[in-house]
Amino acid sequence: MNFGDSQELQMVRETAEKIYKKLEGKRHEIFQKIKRNEFVQEIWDEIAEAGLLGAIIPPQYGGTGMGLLSTAIAVEELAKYGIGNALFVLTVVAESCIVRNGSEELKKKFLPDMASGKVKCALGVTEADAGTNTFRIKTHAIGKNGRYIINGEKTYITGADVADYILLIARTTPYSEVAKKGLPKMFGLSVFMVDLKSKGIKITKLGTRGIEGMNQCTVVFEDVEVPAENLIGQEDQGVWVMFNGLNPERILAGAGAVGLSEFCLRKAVEYAKERKVFGEKPIGAYQAIQHPLADVKIRQESTRLVVYKSAWAYDMELPPQEIMFLANCAKYLSAELLLYAVDRAIQTLGGAGFMEDNFLIILWDSARLLKTAPVSNEMILNLTAEHILGLPRSY
Amino acid sequence: MKILVTAKRTPDPYSKIKLKPDGSGIDTSNIKFVINSFDEIAIEEGLRKKEKFGGEVVVVSIGTQECVEQIRTALAMGADRGILVDTGGRYLDQLGVAKILARIVEDEKPDLVILGKQAIDDDANQVSQILAELLGWPQATFASKVDIDLNSKKAVVEREVDGGIEVDEVSLPAVISADLRLNQPRYASLPGIMKARQKPLKTVKIEDLKVDVSPSVEVLKFEAPPQRQGGKKVKDVDELIQALKESKVLPF
Ligand SMILES: Cc1cc2nc3c(=O)[nH]c(=O)nc-3n(C[C@H](O)[C@H](O)[C@H](O)COP(=O)(O)OP(=O)(O)OC[C@H]3O[C@@H](n4cnc5c(N)ncnc54)[C@H](O)[C@@H]3O)c2cc1C
Repeated sequence: MNFGDSQELQMVRETAEKIYKKLEGKRHEIFQKIKRNEFVQEIWDEIAEAGLLGAIIPPQYGGTGMGLLSTAIAVEELAKYGIGNALFVLTVVAESCIVRNGSEELKKKFLPDMASGKVKCALGVTEADAGTNTFRIKTHAIGKNGRYIINGEKTYITGADVADYILLIARTTPYSEVAKKGLPKMFGLSVFMVDLKSKGIKITKLGTRGIEGMNQCTVVFEDVEVPAENLIGQEDQGVWVMFNGLNPERILAGAGAVGLSEFCLRKAVEYAKERKVFGEKPIGAYQAIQHPLADVKIRQESTRLVVYKSAWAYDMELPPQEIMFLANCAKYLSAELLLYAVDRAIQTLGGAGFMEDNFLIILWDSARLLKTAPVSNEMILNLTAEHILGLPRSY
Repeated sequence: MKILVTAKRTPDPYSKIKLKPDGSGIDTSNIKFVINSFDEIAIEEGLRKKEKFGGEVVVVSIGTQECVEQIRTALAMGADRGILVDTGGRYLDQLGVAKILARIVEDEKPDLVILGKQAIDDDANQVSQILAELLGWPQATFASKVDIDLNSKKAVVEREVDGGIEVDEVSLPAVISADLRLNQPRYASLPGIMKARQKPLKTVKIEDLKVDVSPSVEVLKFEAPPQRQGGKKVKDVDELIQALKESKVLPF
């Protein structure tokens, strides 16, 4: 067992740090864009140039095959400086599905352009009546003459307004039929790469908050044609494909949260050392201020370990169910960690914690999001109780 | 064209330096080590010239085995091969370092050597000058722009001097030292990091070079700069002048 960074991972850390230093000069512009919910292309371009978008893509398809752990480390490191880019994570999700389940043709068609940053991809799972319960989705795809015709409506889709493609989860067999035939509940879903510029797609921005610099949208599909070769994996067996995407999403969400918790800590500690309220002692000398920050640090260290372990499990290609448990641990702990870290940082800064320029109050929204999405913490407890502990299903 | 560049292992300029209690050096625990910032600029310039003219960039680091990290980083940036001169941890002064580099240059016969103008740890700013002297090559220090003409085998180098820019022409082979504004070094991309795995890295033992590196400089002690004293507020100009007189800052 070896817990230290390899020299290569250390280099990835340094690269991420240098990306930040390069972007530092544009800090003000970037901040303004984030406030306007505008996509920060500058960050995307740097991530792409550094090769971070190709880390889980094998070399023959334009990536490096360095692995999800290196991506996680880069995501964490960038987040330490408050830099996030949700589409980066979502594009990696689509890459993962294609790398692990896609046909040779699909790999050639998409992976090189994704590795270079030319193609951005959103993730389309949620529908108005199917969030936590994905099996209830109604968007359906009907195969006909070498293509699929898609109808339905997805919602809360992050970055659909700026992405080129959407990784779409749709039904190829209706739920009623699955139930009638006594087929397993998992049956009947399929995963597609859909060009967001296709005829019949309508994208409308929602008034959500939660991911800096990004909008969430509803995406309506009306007789949208998709070439049959854009199906990832087998028809009706999309659940397994989806797991191969959702695991990296949770792991990278965890990595981002660990990094952001460090961002909060640095801000809080720096302030606590300087700010004097009573006499000459800085507020950082008070246990009421320093203990919670120390507590955040300890939780951060343990969360980081499980984030790395889950990324390692993904890179080792352990069975998806095993990866999922670890990915769930990472997501669960990191959601609690980040919310607590932002809360304590804001508390340490007092009124200054609410100044937008300090970025903490802006982070509050995204920190809170993580308890609800990409999967809620309640659902993670449900899954763990049922599948890991073997307790009766509660719902 | 073949270009030799240097990569000294130095503490990260952003890290907080603490001294060992006995003053024998700096406390290296919890310190991140990186390529000397000016050497990074030298490496970048070497890579840009290689991209323009073709050829090879060879990176040299002198120090302990740990310098392999800095060489690998340079290889990940795009250098073609690395040479580590393993000193076994012994102290070298600037003359010693320059002598070792001169030996490597004899073996490698590069068309150009680019070094950082100084290292951010000891700030000596001597190695490039001594090296040029030892080799009998022309030198251009503190370069802020380097243009190379392969036909005439010349380099035109701009140097920022007080009050303007000095333009020097040197014939190749030459020694150039890089100043801060020469370029913005690239970072190691992930593909670069993966490619570095395959690149050759040779280790040479300092004894095997057979150069006399016994130092002529002895380091006696490290001392932290004195702590800054808190300032004092004065009421008006008269009081200010009085205070300046008392502190003997003013010559009258
Ligand atoms: C900012 C933002 C970005 C998003 N981006 C995307 C995206 O890019 N792509 C995408 O597909 N989706 C996206 N989502 C959607 C997100 O994944 C869903 O909102 C989330 O999965 C919850 O689904 P829901 O909103 O339908 O809540 P519901 O499923 O209606 O759940 C409501 C509440 O009930 C709880 N609950 C439900 N069932 C149980 C149970 N059995 N036991 C205990 N508690 C239960 C849930 O935990 C939740 O707290 C995004 C959402 C937000 C807010």
